[in-house]
Amino acid sequence: MSGVYLAGMGLACALGDDMRSALASLKRGAVPAKPVTVAGGIQWPVHTLAPRPGDWTQRLRDTVRDVVAQTGDGGARTAPLFVASSSLDIGFMEHEKQDLRLGGDLQDFAGIAAESIDWQGPVFTVSTACTSALNALLAAADLIRAGEADEALVIGAEMGNRFTVAGFGAMQLLSPDSARPFGEGRNGLVLGEAVAALRLGSRPARWQVAGGANVVDGRNPSGTEASAVHAMCRGALEQSGLQPADIDLIKVQAAGSPVNDAIEAEALKQVFEPLPPLVSLKPALGHTLGASGAAELALLAGCIEGGVWPTVDYPLDASLGIELSTQAPQRLRNILLNFAGFGGGHASLVLKDTGP
Amino acid sequence: MTAWRTAAHFVVHPPPADWREDLARRIGRKPRRVGLWTELAMYGARCCLDAAGESALPAGARIRVSSQRGAWGATHAGLTQLDAGLPMPFTFMQSQPALMLAEVGRCLDWQGDASFALCREPARVLRLAKLGASRDGLLFGIVEEERNGEPARSEWWRLVPA
Repeated sequence: MSGVYLAGMGLACALGDDMRSALASLKRGAVPAKPVTVAGGIQWPVHTLAPRPGDWTQRLRDTVRDVVAQTGDGGARTAPLFVASSSLDIGFMEHEKQDLRLGGDLQDFAGIAAESIDWQGPVFTVSTACTSALNALLAAADLIRAGEADEALVIGAEMGNRFTVAGFGAMQLLSPDSARPFGEGRNGLVLGEAVAALRLGSRPARWQVAGGANVVDGRNPSGTEASAVHAMCRGALEQSGLQPADIDLIKVQAAGSPVNDAIEAEALKQVFEPLPPLVSLKPALGHTLGASGAAELALLAGCIEGGVWPTVDYPLDASLGIELSTQAPQRLRNILLNFAGFGGGHASLVLKDTGP
Repeated sequence: MTAWRTAAHFVVHPPPADWREDLARRIGRKPRRVGLWTELAMYGARCCLDAAGESALPAGARIRVSSQRGAWGATHAGLTQLDAGLPMPFTFMQSQPALMLAEVGRCLDWQGDASFALCREPARVLRLAKLGASRDGLLFGIVEEERNGEPARSEWWRLVPA
Protein backbone atom coordinates (compact mmCIF):
# COMPACT_ATOMS: atom_id res chain seq x y z
CA MET A 1 0.00 0.00 0.00
CA SER A 2 1.46 3.39 -1.03
CA GLY A 3 2.06 6.24 1.36
CA VAL A 4 0.44 9.60 0.57
CA TYR A 5 2.51 12.77 0.62
CA LEU A 6 1.97 16.45 0.02
CA ALA A 7 3.95 17.22 -3.13
CA GLY A 8 2.92 20.87 -3.41
CA MET A 9 0.44 23.41 -2.14
CA GLY A 10 -1.03 26.74 -3.15
CA LEU A 11 -3.27 29.24 -1.39
CA ALA A 12 -5.19 32.41 -2.11
CA CYS A 13 -7.13 33.77 0.85
CA ALA A 14 -7.95 37.04 2.58
CA LEU A 15 -4.37 37.19 3.84
CA GLY A 16 -2.92 37.22 0.35
CA ASP A 17 -2.97 35.70 -3.10
CA ASP A 18 -0.08 33.37 -2.44
CA MET A 19 1.64 31.74 0.52
CA ARG A 20 4.39 34.31 0.80
CA SER A 21 2.00 37.26 0.99
CA ALA A 22 -0.37 35.34 3.29
CA LEU A 23 2.45 34.65 5.75
CA ALA A 24 3.61 38.26 5.55
CA SER A 25 0.08 39.45 6.41
CA LEU A 26 -0.18 36.97 9.24
CA LYS A 27 3.12 38.19 10.63
CA ARG A 28 1.78 41.75 10.59
CA GLY A 29 -1.32 40.65 12.52
CA ALA A 30 -3.73 39.53 9.80
CA VAL A 31 -6.22 41.45 7.69
CA PRO A 32 -9.60 42.70 8.99
CA ALA A 33 -12.80 41.28 7.51
CA LYS A 34 -14.81 43.45 5.12
CA PRO A 35 -18.56 44.09 5.27
CA VAL A 36 -20.64 42.20 2.71
CA THR A 37 -24.21 43.39 2.13
CA VAL A 38 -26.69 40.56 1.66
CA ALA A 39 -30.10 42.25 1.44
CA GLY A 40 -31.99 45.17 2.82
CA GLY A 41 -28.87 46.82 4.22
CA ILE A 42 -27.95 43.78 6.30
CA GLN A 43 -24.18 43.42 6.40
CA TRP A 44 -21.87 40.74 7.75
CA PRO A 45 -18.07 40.82 7.98
CA VAL A 46 -16.36 38.39 5.58
CA HIS A 47 -12.67 37.65 4.99
CA THR A 48 -12.78 38.26 1.24
CA LEU A 49 -10.29 37.50 -1.49
CA ALA A 50 -8.55 40.49 -3.05
CA PRO A 51 -10.57 41.99 -5.92
CA ARG A 52 -9.70 40.74 -9.41
CA PRO A 53 -10.85 41.98 -12.79
CA GLY A 54 -13.52 40.17 -14.81
CA ASP A 55 -16.84 38.55 -14.01
CA TRP A 56 -17.38 35.89 -11.37
CA THR A 57 -16.41 33.00 -13.65
CA GLN A 58 -13.30 34.76 -14.88
CA ARG A 59 -12.22 35.46 -11.30
CA LEU A 60 -12.69 31.77 -10.48
CA ARG A 61 -10.63 30.70 -13.50
CA ASP A 62 -7.82 33.14 -12.77
CA THR A 63 -7.66 32.34 -9.07
CA VAL A 64 -7.64 28.57 -9.62
CA ARG A 65 -4.95 28.87 -12.30
CA ASP A 66 -2.73 31.00 -10.05
CA VAL A 67 -3.19 28.81 -6.99
CA VAL A 68 -2.54 25.55 -8.85
CA ALA A 69 0.59 27.11 -10.37
CA GLN A 70 1.90 27.61 -6.82
CA THR A 71 1.87 23.83 -6.27
CA GLY A 72 4.68 23.39 -8.78
CA ASP A 73 4.58 21.91 -12.20
CA GLY A 74 5.37 18.34 -11.25
CA GLY A 75 2.07 16.63 -11.82
CA ALA A 76 0.46 14.98 -14.78
CA ARG A 77 -2.74 16.68 -15.87
CA THR A 78 -4.26 13.28 -16.41
CA ALA A 79 -4.35 12.47 -12.69
CA PRO A 80 -7.64 12.58 -10.74
CA LEU A 81 -8.76 16.09 -9.79
CA PHE A 82 -11.01 16.70 -6.81
CA VAL A 83 -12.81 20.03 -6.55
CA ALA A 84 -14.32 20.65 -3.12
CA SER A 85 -16.77 23.40 -2.31
CA SER A 86 -19.86 24.11 -0.30
CA SER A 87 -21.21 27.01 -2.33
CA LEU A 88 -19.97 25.79 -5.75
CA ASP A 89 -21.09 28.28 -8.44
CA ILE A 90 -23.92 29.89 -6.50
CA GLY A 91 -22.11 33.24 -6.78
CA PHE A 92 -22.38 32.97 -10.56
CA MET A 93 -26.07 32.11 -10.34
CA GLU A 94 -26.81 35.13 -8.18
CA HIS A 95 -25.91 37.30 -11.16
CA GLU A 96 -27.94 35.29 -13.67
CA LYS A 97 -31.52 36.04 -14.66
CA GLN A 98 -33.93 33.85 -12.73
CA ASP A 99 -35.01 31.70 -15.67
CA LEU A 100 -31.39 31.04 -16.67
CA ARG A 101 -30.29 29.93 -13.22
CA LEU A 102 -29.54 26.29 -12.49
CA GLY A 103 -29.56 25.38 -16.14
CA GLY A 104 -26.51 23.24 -15.60
CA ASP A 105 -25.62 20.87 -12.79
CA LEU A 106 -23.44 20.49 -9.71
CA GLN A 107 -20.43 19.45 -11.81
CA ASP A 108 -20.27 22.75 -13.71
CA PHE A 109 -18.13 24.46 -11.05
CA ALA A 110 -15.52 21.70 -11.08
CA GLY A 111 -15.67 21.72 -14.87
CA ILE A 112 -14.72 25.40 -14.96
CA ALA A 113 -11.91 24.85 -12.47
CA ALA A 114 -10.60 21.90 -14.52
CA GLU A 115 -10.85 23.80 -17.78
CA SER A 116 -8.92 26.74 -16.34
CA ILE A 117 -5.89 24.50 -15.77
CA ASP A 118 -6.43 22.42 -18.91
CA TRP A 119 -7.03 19.30 -16.82
CA GLN A 120 -7.40 16.09 -18.83
CA GLY A 121 -7.96 13.56 -16.05
CA PRO A 122 -11.17 12.53 -14.26
CA VAL A 123 -12.78 15.36 -12.30
CA PHE A 124 -14.75 14.80 -9.10
CA THR A 125 -16.89 17.28 -7.18
CA VAL A 126 -17.05 16.78 -3.41
CA SER A 127 -19.56 18.84 -1.46
CA THR A 128 -20.06 18.08 2.23
CA ALA A 129 -20.16 21.67 3.56
CA CYS A 130 -17.26 22.48 5.92
CA THR A 131 -15.61 19.07 5.50
CA SER A 132 -15.66 19.12 1.66
CA ALA A 133 -11.94 19.61 1.05
CA LEU A 134 -10.93 17.18 3.76
CA ASN A 135 -13.27 14.54 2.32
CA ALA A 136 -11.81 15.25 -1.12
CA LEU A 137 -8.33 14.77 0.31
CA LEU A 138 -9.34 11.51 2.01
CA ALA A 139 -10.84 10.24 -1.26
CA ALA A 140 -7.70 11.19 -3.19
CA ALA A 141 -5.62 9.43 -0.53
CA ASP A 142 -7.76 6.28 -0.96
CA LEU A 143 -6.92 6.29 -4.69
CA ILE A 144 -3.20 6.68 -4.09
CA ARG A 145 -3.05 4.14 -1.25
CA ALA A 146 -4.87 1.60 -3.42
CA GLY A 147 -2.36 2.15 -6.21
CA GLU A 148 -5.07 3.43 -8.57
CA ALA A 149 -3.25 6.74 -8.99
CA ASP A 150 0.29 7.96 -8.35
CA GLU A 151 -0.88 11.49 -7.76
CA ALA A 152 -3.99 13.61 -7.42
CA LEU A 153 -4.85 17.27 -7.13
CA VAL A 154 -7.31 18.59 -4.55
CA ILE A 155 -8.73 22.08 -4.94
CA GLY A 156 -10.85 23.62 -2.20
CA ALA A 157 -12.69 26.72 -3.35
CA GLU A 158 -15.16 29.12 -1.78
CA MET A 159 -15.68 32.16 -3.96
CA GLY A 160 -17.62 35.28 -3.09
CA ASN A 161 -21.39 35.01 -2.93
CA ARG A 162 -24.25 36.51 -0.95
CA PHE A 163 -26.31 33.29 -0.76
CA THR A 164 -24.04 31.61 1.78
CA VAL A 165 -23.60 34.77 3.83
CA ALA A 166 -27.36 35.34 3.93
CA GLY A 167 -27.98 31.66 4.75
CA PHE A 168 -25.53 31.57 7.65
CA GLY A 169 -26.84 34.96 8.80
CA ALA A 170 -30.40 33.67 8.79
CA MET A 171 -29.30 30.66 10.80
CA GLN A 172 -27.88 33.08 13.39
CA LEU A 173 -24.41 31.56 13.14
CA LEU A 174 -22.47 34.72 12.20
CA SER A 175 -20.61 37.19 14.38
CA PRO A 176 -21.38 40.84 13.67
CA ASP A 177 -17.76 41.79 14.46
CA SER A 178 -15.02 39.16 14.62
CA ALA A 179 -14.41 35.45 15.14
CA ARG A 180 -12.92 34.62 18.51
CA PRO A 181 -12.45 30.84 18.67
CA PHE A 182 -12.57 29.65 22.30
CA GLY A 183 -12.76 33.35 23.20
CA GLU A 184 -14.50 35.10 26.02
CA GLY A 185 -17.76 36.59 24.74
CA ARG A 186 -17.44 34.84 21.37
CA ASN A 187 -20.54 35.44 19.31
CA GLY A 188 -20.32 33.45 16.10
CA LEU A 189 -18.19 32.74 13.08
CA VAL A 190 -16.93 34.98 10.32
CA LEU A 191 -17.00 33.51 6.82
CA GLY A 192 -14.01 33.58 4.50
CA GLU A 193 -13.28 33.15 0.80
CA ALA A 194 -10.35 31.03 -0.30
CA VAL A 195 -8.97 28.83 -3.03
CA ALA A 196 -6.38 26.28 -1.99
CA ALA A 197 -4.70 23.48 -3.90
CA LEU A 198 -2.95 20.40 -2.56
CA ARG A 199 -0.95 18.22 -4.89
CA LEU A 200 -0.77 14.71 -3.45
CA GLY A 201 1.51 11.92 -4.54
CA SER A 202 3.03 8.60 -3.58
CA ARG A 203 6.61 9.88 -3.75
CA PRO A 204 7.98 10.62 -0.26
CA ALA A 205 8.04 14.30 0.68
CA ARG A 206 8.25 16.28 3.91
CA TRP A 207 4.53 16.15 4.78
CA GLN A 208 2.81 12.78 4.89
CA VAL A 209 -0.94 12.28 5.05
CA ALA A 210 -0.73 9.59 7.72
CA GLY A 211 -4.44 8.97 8.18
CA GLY A 212 -7.86 10.49 8.51
CA ALA A 213 -11.48 9.91 9.36
CA ASN A 214 -14.85 11.35 8.39
CA VAL A 215 -17.84 11.04 10.72
CA VAL A 216 -21.34 12.35 10.02
CA ASP A 217 -23.73 12.65 12.93
CA GLY A 218 -27.15 13.98 12.00
CA ARG A 219 -28.49 14.58 15.49
CA ASN A 220 -27.61 18.27 15.35
CA PRO A 221 -27.26 19.36 11.70
CA SER A 222 -25.78 22.76 12.53
CA GLY A 223 -23.63 21.75 15.47
CA THR A 224 -20.75 19.76 16.83
CA GLU A 225 -21.42 16.42 18.52
CA ALA A 226 -18.98 15.30 21.20
CA SER A 227 -19.24 11.61 20.26
CA ALA A 228 -18.47 12.49 16.63
CA VAL A 229 -15.41 14.51 17.72
CA HIS A 230 -14.23 11.48 19.69
CA ALA A 231 -14.86 9.19 16.72
CA MET A 232 -13.08 11.40 14.16
CA CYS A 233 -10.00 11.89 16.34
CA ARG A 234 -9.77 8.21 17.26
CA GLY A 235 -10.42 7.12 13.67
CA ALA A 236 -7.67 9.34 12.32
CA LEU A 237 -5.25 8.18 15.03
CA GLU A 238 -6.07 4.53 14.36
CA GLN A 239 -5.50 4.82 10.62
CA SER A 240 -2.20 6.59 11.35
CA GLY A 241 -1.09 3.95 13.84
CA LEU A 242 -0.78 6.58 16.57
CA GLN A 243 -1.90 7.09 20.15
CA PRO A 244 -3.29 10.39 21.52
CA ALA A 245 0.05 11.07 23.25
CA ASP A 246 1.80 11.01 19.85
CA ILE A 247 0.02 14.18 18.69
CA ASP A 248 2.14 17.31 19.06
CA LEU A 249 -0.38 19.90 17.86
CA ILE A 250 -4.10 20.09 17.12
CA LYS A 251 -5.46 22.53 14.57
CA VAL A 252 -8.92 22.99 16.05
CA GLN A 253 -12.19 23.46 14.23
CA ALA A 254 -13.39 26.18 16.65
CA ALA A 255 -14.91 29.01 14.65
CA GLY A 256 -16.20 31.21 17.46
CA SER A 257 -19.56 29.57 18.17
CA PRO A 258 -20.61 29.91 21.81
CA VAL A 259 -21.89 26.32 22.01
CA ASN A 260 -19.90 24.37 19.39
CA ASP A 261 -16.51 25.65 20.59
CA ALA A 262 -17.35 24.52 24.13
CA ILE A 263 -18.42 21.05 22.93
CA GLU A 264 -15.22 20.69 20.90
CA ALA A 265 -13.00 21.80 23.79
CA GLU A 266 -14.63 19.33 26.18
CA ALA A 267 -14.55 16.49 23.64
CA LEU A 268 -10.85 17.05 22.89
CA LYS A 269 -10.06 16.94 26.60
CA GLN A 270 -11.81 13.56 26.78
CA VAL A 271 -9.63 12.12 24.00
CA PHE A 272 -6.32 13.83 24.84
CA GLU A 273 -5.06 13.83 28.41
CA PRO A 274 -3.14 16.07 28.65
CA LEU A 275 -4.13 18.25 25.70
CA PRO A 276 -1.34 18.96 23.23
CA PRO A 277 -0.88 22.59 22.07
CA LEU A 278 -3.82 23.92 20.06
CA VAL A 279 -3.85 26.36 17.17
CA SER A 280 -6.72 28.16 15.44
CA LEU A 281 -6.48 29.69 11.98
CA LYS A 282 -10.04 30.99 11.59
CA PRO A 283 -9.47 34.45 13.11
CA ALA A 284 -7.02 35.06 10.25
CA LEU A 285 -8.65 33.15 7.37
CA GLY A 286 -12.29 33.26 8.33
CA HIS A 287 -14.30 30.06 8.11
CA THR A 288 -13.69 29.11 4.51
CA LEU A 289 -16.30 26.32 4.63
CA GLY A 290 -15.77 23.76 1.86
CA ALA A 291 -12.27 25.09 1.18
CA SER A 292 -11.19 25.02 4.82
CA GLY A 293 -9.73 21.50 4.75
CA ALA A 294 -7.28 22.52 2.04
CA ALA A 295 -6.83 26.17 3.00
CA GLU A 296 -6.10 25.55 6.69
CA LEU A 297 -3.81 22.60 5.95
CA ALA A 298 -1.86 24.68 3.44
CA LEU A 299 -1.64 27.70 5.74
CA LEU A 300 -0.57 25.61 8.72
CA ALA A 301 2.15 23.83 6.74
CA GLY A 302 3.18 27.22 5.36
CA CYS A 303 3.36 28.69 8.88
CA ILE A 304 5.59 25.85 10.09
CA GLU A 305 7.86 26.01 7.05
CA GLY A 306 7.97 29.81 7.14
CA GLY A 307 8.43 30.23 10.88
CA VAL A 308 5.28 32.34 11.29
CA TRP A 309 2.58 31.73 13.89
CA PRO A 310 -0.91 33.24 14.26
CA THR A 311 -1.38 35.61 17.17
CA VAL A 312 -4.24 35.39 19.65
CA ASP A 313 -5.36 38.98 20.23
CA TYR A 314 -8.42 38.37 22.39
CA PRO A 315 -8.97 36.88 25.86
CA LEU A 316 -9.83 33.19 25.96
CA ASP A 317 -12.85 31.79 27.77
CA ALA A 318 -11.36 30.66 31.08
CA SER A 319 -14.29 28.31 31.71
CA LEU A 320 -13.14 26.09 28.81
CA GLY A 321 -9.81 25.37 30.50
CA ILE A 322 -7.79 25.43 27.29
CA GLU A 323 -5.05 27.56 25.73
CA LEU A 324 -4.22 28.46 22.15
CA SER A 325 -0.52 28.30 21.40
CA THR A 326 1.18 31.59 20.63
CA GLN A 327 4.22 30.01 19.03
CA ALA A 328 5.01 26.81 17.20
CA PRO A 329 5.58 23.91 19.60
CA GLN A 330 9.21 22.83 19.92
CA ARG A 331 8.42 19.26 18.89
CA LEU A 332 6.20 19.00 15.84
CA ARG A 333 6.06 15.55 14.33
CA ASN A 334 2.38 14.59 14.23
CA ILE A 335 -0.32 17.20 13.70
CA LEU A 336 -4.05 16.55 13.96
CA LEU A 337 -6.27 18.84 11.89
CA ASN A 338 -9.95 18.89 12.86
CA PHE A 339 -12.88 20.15 10.84
CA ALA A 340 -16.57 20.11 11.58
CA GLY A 341 -19.65 21.94 10.59
CA PHE A 342 -22.94 22.27 8.92
CA GLY A 343 -24.77 19.00 8.26
CA GLY A 344 -23.21 17.17 11.19
CA GLY A 345 -19.94 16.60 9.33
CA HIS A 346 -16.79 15.97 11.39
CA ALA A 347 -13.43 15.08 9.82
CA SER A 348 -9.86 14.71 11.06
CA LEU A 349 -6.53 14.31 9.37
CA VAL A 350 -3.10 13.41 10.74
CA LEU A 351 -0.28 15.22 8.98
CA LYS A 352 3.17 13.86 9.72
CA ASP A 353 6.38 15.83 9.33
CA THR A 354 8.83 13.26 7.99
CA GLY A 355 11.67 15.76 7.86
CA PRO A 356 14.87 15.25 9.86
CA MET B 1 -8.81 -6.01 -5.62
CA THR B 2 -11.82 -6.68 -3.37
CA ALA B 3 -14.79 -8.47 -4.97
CA TRP B 4 -18.17 -7.02 -4.04
CA ARG B 5 -21.61 -8.56 -3.62
CA THR B 6 -24.88 -6.66 -3.99
CA ALA B 7 -26.88 -7.43 -0.85
CA ALA B 8 -29.79 -5.28 -2.04
CA HIS B 9 -30.69 -2.96 -4.88
CA PHE B 10 -33.63 -0.59 -4.54
CA VAL B 11 -34.88 1.79 -7.18
CA VAL B 12 -37.89 4.08 -7.59
CA HIS B 13 -38.04 6.04 -10.82
CA PRO B 14 -40.50 7.64 -10.25
CA PRO B 15 -41.42 6.96 -6.62
CA PRO B 16 -44.90 5.57 -5.93
CA ALA B 17 -47.67 8.02 -5.06
CA ASP B 18 -47.59 7.16 -1.35
CA TRP B 19 -43.81 7.18 -0.91
CA ARG B 20 -43.85 9.90 1.74
CA GLU B 21 -46.32 7.99 3.87
CA ASP B 22 -44.26 4.85 3.36
CA LEU B 23 -41.12 6.67 4.53
CA ALA B 24 -42.88 8.03 7.63
CA ARG B 25 -44.11 4.51 8.44
CA ARG B 26 -40.67 2.99 8.00
CA ILE B 27 -38.80 5.50 10.16
CA GLY B 28 -41.58 6.14 12.66
CA ARG B 29 -41.86 9.88 12.07
CA LYS B 30 -42.63 12.43 9.40
CA PRO B 31 -39.49 14.24 8.21
CA ARG B 32 -39.77 17.96 8.89
CA ARG B 33 -38.10 20.86 7.09
CA VAL B 34 -35.67 18.66 5.18
CA GLY B 35 -36.67 19.33 1.57
CA LEU B 36 -37.77 17.03 -1.25
CA TRP B 37 -34.32 15.86 -2.36
CA THR B 38 -33.28 14.87 1.13
CA GLU B 39 -36.59 13.12 1.71
CA LEU B 40 -36.09 11.13 -1.51
CA ALA B 41 -32.63 10.13 -0.32
CA MET B 42 -33.97 9.07 3.08
CA TYR B 43 -36.68 6.99 1.42
CA GLY B 44 -34.32 5.15 -0.90
CA ALA B 45 -31.69 4.54 1.76
CA ARG B 46 -34.18 3.18 4.27
CA CYS B 47 -35.93 0.98 1.70
CA CYS B 48 -32.61 -0.40 0.45
CA LEU B 49 -31.49 -1.30 3.94
CA ASP B 50 -34.88 -2.92 4.60
CA ALA B 51 -34.50 -4.89 1.35
CA ALA B 52 -31.11 -6.09 2.56
CA GLY B 53 -32.77 -7.35 5.73
CA GLU B 54 -30.65 -5.08 7.93
CA SER B 55 -32.35 -3.21 10.75
CA ALA B 56 -29.31 -0.95 11.11
CA LEU B 57 -26.35 0.01 8.96
CA PRO B 58 -23.13 -1.22 10.60
CA ALA B 59 -21.05 1.56 12.12
CA GLY B 60 -18.07 0.79 9.90
CA ALA B 61 -20.05 0.97 6.65
CA ARG B 62 -19.79 3.96 4.35
CA ILE B 63 -22.61 5.99 2.85
CA ARG B 64 -21.88 7.58 -0.51
CA VAL B 65 -24.42 9.62 -2.43
CA SER B 66 -24.21 11.10 -5.91
CA SER B 67 -26.49 13.38 -7.92
CA GLN B 68 -26.07 15.57 -10.95
CA ARG B 69 -28.52 18.25 -9.80
CA GLY B 70 -28.77 17.83 -6.04
CA ALA B 71 -31.33 19.90 -4.16
CA TRP B 72 -32.34 21.83 -7.25
CA GLY B 73 -35.71 22.98 -5.94
CA ALA B 74 -34.39 24.27 -2.62
CA THR B 75 -31.48 26.06 -4.29
CA HIS B 76 -33.81 27.74 -6.75
CA ALA B 77 -36.17 28.75 -3.95
CA GLY B 78 -33.27 30.04 -1.85
CA LEU B 79 -31.99 32.26 -4.65
CA THR B 80 -35.48 33.65 -5.17
CA GLN B 81 -35.72 34.40 -1.47
CA LEU B 82 -32.32 36.07 -1.58
CA ASP B 83 -33.52 38.32 -4.42
CA ALA B 84 -36.53 39.26 -2.33
CA GLY B 85 -34.41 39.99 0.74
CA LEU B 86 -36.14 37.33 2.81
CA PRO B 87 -34.40 35.36 5.52
CA MET B 88 -34.13 31.71 4.47
CA PRO B 89 -32.58 29.49 7.12
CA PHE B 90 -34.49 26.32 6.27
CA THR B 91 -34.32 26.77 2.51
CA PHE B 92 -30.58 27.40 2.75
CA MET B 93 -30.10 24.27 4.84
CA GLN B 94 -32.18 22.23 2.40
CA SER B 95 -29.94 23.30 -0.50
CA GLN B 96 -26.87 21.66 1.06
CA PRO B 97 -25.90 18.04 0.30
CA ALA B 98 -24.45 17.88 3.81
CA LEU B 99 -27.92 18.22 5.31
CA MET B 100 -29.07 15.28 3.18
CA LEU B 101 -26.21 13.16 4.51
CA ALA B 102 -27.07 14.14 8.07
CA GLU B 103 -30.73 13.25 7.65
CA VAL B 104 -30.00 9.96 5.88
CA GLY B 105 -27.70 9.03 8.77
CA ARG B 106 -30.31 10.11 11.29
CA CYS B 107 -33.12 8.10 9.70
CA LEU B 108 -30.87 5.03 9.81
CA ASP B 109 -29.92 5.83 13.43
CA TRP B 110 -26.31 5.71 12.29
CA GLN B 111 -23.12 7.72 12.81
CA GLY B 112 -20.27 7.20 10.37
CA ASP B 113 -18.44 8.02 7.16
CA ALA B 114 -20.87 9.64 4.72
CA SER B 115 -19.97 11.77 1.74
CA PHE B 116 -21.39 13.29 -1.42
CA ALA B 117 -19.50 13.26 -4.71
CA LEU B 118 -20.13 13.30 -8.42
CA CYS B 119 -18.26 12.92 -11.67
CA ARG B 120 -19.21 13.12 -15.34
CA GLU B 121 -18.50 9.39 -15.46
CA PRO B 122 -20.79 8.04 -12.70
CA ALA B 123 -19.07 4.64 -12.56
CA ARG B 124 -15.95 6.38 -11.23
CA VAL B 125 -17.84 7.60 -8.16
CA LEU B 126 -18.84 4.04 -7.23
CA ARG B 127 -15.33 2.75 -7.89
CA LEU B 128 -13.91 5.51 -5.68
CA ALA B 129 -16.46 4.78 -2.95
CA LYS B 130 -15.28 1.17 -2.74
CA LEU B 131 -11.61 2.08 -2.24
CA GLY B 132 -10.70 1.97 1.41
CA ALA B 133 -14.16 0.77 2.49
CA SER B 134 -14.21 -1.60 5.44
CA ARG B 135 -15.69 -5.11 5.74
CA ASP B 136 -18.98 -3.44 6.71
CA GLY B 137 -19.32 -2.34 3.10
CA LEU B 138 -21.15 0.47 1.47
CA LEU B 139 -24.59 2.01 1.03
CA PHE B 140 -24.46 3.84 -2.29
CA GLY B 141 -27.23 6.01 -3.65
CA ILE B 142 -28.08 8.16 -6.67
CA VAL B 143 -30.84 10.67 -6.00
CA GLU B 144 -32.41 13.11 -8.45
CA GLU B 145 -35.41 15.38 -8.15
CA GLU B 146 -37.97 15.54 -10.96
CA ARG B 147 -36.73 17.94 -13.63
CA ASN B 148 -37.71 18.79 -17.23
CA GLY B 149 -40.06 15.83 -17.54
CA GLU B 150 -37.53 13.37 -16.11
CA PRO B 151 -39.16 11.71 -13.08
CA ALA B 152 -37.61 11.75 -9.63
CA ARG B 153 -35.22 8.89 -8.92
CA SER B 154 -33.84 7.33 -5.77
CA GLU B 155 -31.68 4.30 -6.52
CA TRP B 156 -29.58 2.60 -3.85
CA TRP B 157 -27.27 -0.38 -3.55
CA ARG B 158 -26.17 -2.15 -0.39
CA LEU B 159 -22.78 -3.52 -1.27
CA VAL B 160 -20.59 -5.77 0.85
CA PRO B 161 -17.23 -7.41 0.18
CA ALA B 162 -17.88 -10.89 -1.22
